[in-house]
Amino acid sequence: MNTDALPERPITILIAALGGEGGGVLADWIIAAAASQDYPVQSTSIPGVAQRTGATTYYVELYAARIAELGGRRPVMALTPAPGYVDVMVSSELLETGRAMANGYVTPDRTALIASTHRIYTVAEKMHMGDGRFDGERIVTAAQAMAKRAILFDMQDLSNRAGTLISAVLFGALAGAGVLPLPRAACEEAIRKGGRGAEASLKGFEAGYLHASGDAGQAAAQELKRRRTVPSERVRQTFPGETHPILEEGVARMVDFQDRDYANLYLDRLDPIARLDREQGGGASGYRLTSETGRFLALWMCCEDLIRVADLKSRRSRFERVRAEVQARPHEPVHIIEYLKPGVEEAAAVLPPFLSKRLLAWTEKRGLTHKLNVGIYLKSTSVTGFLMLRLLAAMRPLRRMTSRYADEQALIERWLRVIADSGARDTGLALEIALCGRLIKGYGDTNRRAKAGFLRIMDTLAEGGAFAEDLARAAAIAKAREAALADPEGRGLENSLAAHGITPLPPQPKPIQFMRRPKPDRRAA
Amino acid sequence: MEISFHDEIDSLKLGDGQLFHGEGILAVTKALLQSGVSYVGGYQGAPVSHLLDVMVQARDYLDELGVHVEACTNEAAAAAMLGASISYPMRGAVTWKSIVGTNVASDALSYLSTAGVLGGALIVVGEDYGEGASIALERTHAMALKSSMWLLDPRPSLQMIVKMVEKGFELSEASNSPVIMELRIRACHLQGSFVARDNRSPAISTRTFLAGAAEFDYERLSHPPATFRQEKLKADVRLPAARKFIRDNRLNEVFEGSEQGVGIICPGGLYNNVLRALRMLGLAEDFGNARLPMLALNVVYPLVPEEITAFCAGKRAVLLLEEGMPEFIEQDIATLLRRADVQTRLHGKDLLLLTGEYTAEVIVRGLARFLDQYAPHLDTSTGERWLETVNTARARAGELLGAPLPPRPPTFCVGCPERPVFAAMKLVKRDIGEPHVSADIGCHAFATFEPFSQGNTILGYGMSLASAAGVAPMMATRPMAIMGDGGFWHNGLLSGVASNVLNHGDAVLVIMKNGYASATGTQDVVSSPLESAKALAVGQSSVHTDRSIENALRGVGVKWLRNVYTYRVAEMAKTLREAFATPEPGLKVIIAEAECQLERQRRIRPILAKLLGSGQRVVRTRFGVDDDTCSGDHSCIRLSGCPSLTVKPSADPLKVDPVAHVNNTCVGCGLCGEVAHAAILCPSFFRAEIVQNPGAWDRFIAGVRETVIGWLQPA
Repeated sequence: MNTDALPERPITILIAALGGEGGGVLADWIIAAAASQDYPVQSTSIPGVAQRTGATTYYVELYAARIAELGGRRPVMALTPAPGYVDVMVSSELLETGRAMANGYVTPDRTALIASTHRIYTVAEKMHMGDGRFDGERIVTAAQAMAKRAILFDMQDLSNRAGTLISAVLFGALAGAGVLPLPRAACEEAIRKGGRGAEASLKGFEAGYLHASGDAGQAAAQELKRRRTVPSERVRQTFPGETHPILEEGVARMVDFQDRDYANLYLDRLDPIARLDREQGGGASGYRLTSETGRFLALWMCCEDLIRVADLKSRRSRFERVRAEVQARPHEPVHIIEYLKPGVEEAAAVLPPFLSKRLLAWTEKRGLTHKLNVGIYLKSTSVTGFLMLRLLAAMRPLRRMTSRYADEQALIERWLRVIADSGARDTGLALEIALCGRLIKGYGDTNRRAKAGFLRIMDTLAEGGAFAEDLARAAAIAKAREAALADPEGRGLENSLAAHGITPLPPQPKPIQFMRRPKPDRRAA
Repeated sequence: MEISFHDEIDSLKLGDGQLFHGEGILAVTKALLQSGVSYVGGYQGAPVSHLLDVMVQARDYLDELGVHVEACTNEAAAAAMLGASISYPMRGAVTWKSIVGTNVASDALSYLSTAGVLGGALIVVGEDYGEGASIALERTHAMALKSSMWLLDPRPSLQMIVKMVEKGFELSEASNSPVIMELRIRACHLQGSFVARDNRSPAISTRTFLAGAAEFDYERLSHPPATFRQEKLKADVRLPAARKFIRDNRLNEVFEGSEQGVGIICPGGLYNNVLRALRMLGLAEDFGNARLPMLALNVVYPLVPEEITAFCAGKRAVLLLEEGMPEFIEQDIATLLRRADVQTRLHGKDLLLLTGEYTAEVIVRGLARFLDQYAPHLDTSTGERWLETVNTARARAGELLGAPLPPRPPTFCVGCPERPVFAAMKLVKRDIGEPHVSADIGCHAFATFEPFSQGNTILGYGMSLASAAGVAPMMATRPMAIMGDGGFWHNGLLSGVASNVLNHGDAVLVIMKNGYASATGTQDVVSSPLESAKALAVGQSSVHTDRSIENALRGVGVKWLRNVYTYRVAEMAKTLREAFATPEPGLKVIIAEAECQLERQRRIRPILAKLLGSGQRVVRTRFGVDDDTCSGDHSCIRLSGCPSLTVKPSADPLKVDPVAHVNNTCVGCGLCGEVAHAAILCPSFFRAEIVQNPGAWDRFIAGVRETVIGWLQPA
């Protein structure tokens, strides 16, 4: 036997996947394809409970010399991957790619990285009240810097189109990248022998193969947000250019929500902010104060009350969006059933303030405010359901008479006043207060708690509190806002406030129940 | 069962000279048949579930061979099964996940090893230690030592594993002692190949019966006074017999090397990683041939004194690699060397990590320190360069990523019937505060992760209620215990429920009746629905058809008992509130009922495919969130945590935060809608019913609706 012809070392392949994505199947395919070439090959894994959607890895070692030519000798292959010793890193998800890099499995001297750029968010990222997503761009940039060669594209998209699991596309990309001594035919044969779903898998394989071999190794383009460009004369004439995209969007939203007058009110409210921004040299920051106030003011002024929800839910564009989202084929009828649970508060919200107050006072006395909600399953695609929604939507002209409208406008005025007052001193501080508008979201109980957090910041940090300078005040507000967003149900906000000597609100008292322990009829001791 | 082992069953039938391809644990299964095993038992759990699962599915073939297979209700039952080999010359094997399973089995194991066995008794344990472990981190070694059961730790090649199974039975018979084979997680899931031999039909089997019971022999009973003699037998007869067998059969392997002054001793299971570490240091090649001599212990207990002293004699120092604490093997070797007055220096835990898995990286770092001291002439610069590369890569990645990555622990599957219970609990906590929660082993333990983050203790499988016994009398609010039906039948009924009833306890117990031991791969339990009930239920839950849990609870005297269909979140919340508030004394049991979604999906998928293929009407249900009305507060996610309920960038240029979104993995369980209702969250959730293969009436009514709505609908 000629030892010189032997490969320098085994090829090591680490696969990072999430439970249920077919990572094990991918390892099996590699094994089968390698075995068909008579190469010694071995794989190990640690599925355990990670099979239930957790992160897991599979590890394959392949020795690219035919067993027939090795005589009696067999390579000894390791069971655990070693950092800095991985030739091919395969990753089915972007964050897991980041994890592989953080653990040292991707090194510039040897690792070819084949990874999908789509994200499957972790619970921790999803449950944040604002935006808890890890910055995927950073991972892509790191991947391009860390890997010897990086093949990155959205493989989930390709696998969806092929109607298969991502493992098939990954296998295709692996074969197409030419990093393994496995011919395409052998890989396809391995899939075929795998049996069930082979046809779809082969389609996915081909898509991945073509993409990787075509050297189209670029990250997917960022999704561009749709912008409605409704030119507004008044915005163009009186507001700085940098603010136009958001303000024009805001104006369009006001008209869609209520009417022209409402749009004028919106701009009337922004006028003093923009003036202030100009006076304080806001141009340097691209008039962020005006833009961000405009953004959150627009969202707040168009907060989704019963009338708005009914209107949005019964539009044609919405019906079409649902059809597309649930992937209905053109000839398939789709029924949409809404989950609504209006109660006393929702009813009170559409009543005039004096009636609303009385109703709430009455139900509060009897402890019924949060108890009379009626669960409704409304079929908006049926004629009656649709008509009910349109009827509600038709109440739009009466909106200015409702108590919810009055309440929200009062709070908005207060917020704008604080922005204007502080803006006269320091636009940075005003911007932080404007950004607190992000806390105003949700419905019912969520909305109540979100507003409580907002008001707490207004009361303590924005209008109260002892700060030597506005810079410290602005920093404190930013911290408190982040805390409130990160931990909407916990005590994050109070802890953040406590750092500035503000006495935390006591935790909500919980009823303690004392129960008599009856003397049981015991057995004789 | 979650996995179908159709192909694997075929490979169990391979004969002489044929090549077996497959997983380590299935190689063990094949080796059992090659060894002529009469009976097999065990309790499922990663990484050994497949051994039993494949045998249960291969019942027909095993019947042909005359092999009996039993899916035991816990490890104690499995261990006790080995009692058959005390009096009869038949081979038996049992399996479980260790350390936990060995703990549960330990009572029976003490008595089994004391009595000694006639027929070979092999215990295959999945050593769930190191990366990927899902239990308390302890080793089986201690249990082997205390009961004088021999412990095999074979080199991770399928051929060697198979050989050690076969030799393990012989060792057991030669020394009249039970033998444990420990296989690490990765060894169980190792995909490789070995040359098979014919299976052997056992001499005593379900086809060739024993004529009658063994003759009465008090000496075979682990009962005083026989136990005193048996203890002496262990030390005086069985241990020497075992050592002789191990030596004679060369079960441990010596690999020669040119550096005679130093050596490495490691359990067989670590051999491959040690070799890789030597390779990285430039001291070995891919086919072995290390420059350092190595002793691979395929039997880690008992050690053979002559083998140890022979290997160490003449060496300046040896390095022992042993994972976990305490360092049993190291102490054992140190004693042997001291007694034989061999002056070789022994190193181990002083140069290596005290705890955790010995990966190649860990071993390289330890070896480098060892060689620095005893073989400085060796060039290990490749290893140093490699470690440098690793350090640099990690630092650079950390820098580029900028922030720690969010962890991704396992969670409930899409549509899991257990998730709604914890969503309801989260709502109830808003009213009653945080009760003390005793969690348990099973899928429901995922509720300890976000977004539920609940649970004060986990004390073992089926132990939740028992672990609240000392808490309940000390607390104003009742404690709550969670248990799965798996845990209930494993241990919970006796340790938890019966003990609570006997002591007139007061607590809230929630039993997840999803029909299977789901976390380990949906194996059947006593209360699993029958095949006929499942066929009748089609895609619906069928677990309500079995009442054995309810009957058992009533039988031991539980008075307050409610069954709630888990997906009805509001009803579940109401029942939980009632359980915490009712003045009624005694244990309050809520049975959260709904079948494991994995099983339901597995059942319905082929049926739906068939219906769709034949052009029949099928209504597909999916849930969704309206982008327009979703304000991006994600409170729905904080109450559900469903993998299919995720976030996406908002299409609205004004909204900076991502909106909630239901992706295509949704199975339409309806939880998100129910949570939105129960928590009065928001009006954004909708259910879409897509009529596939619509009939004439469907098309007609859809046409009418479209026309009428079309007249009035704004864009």
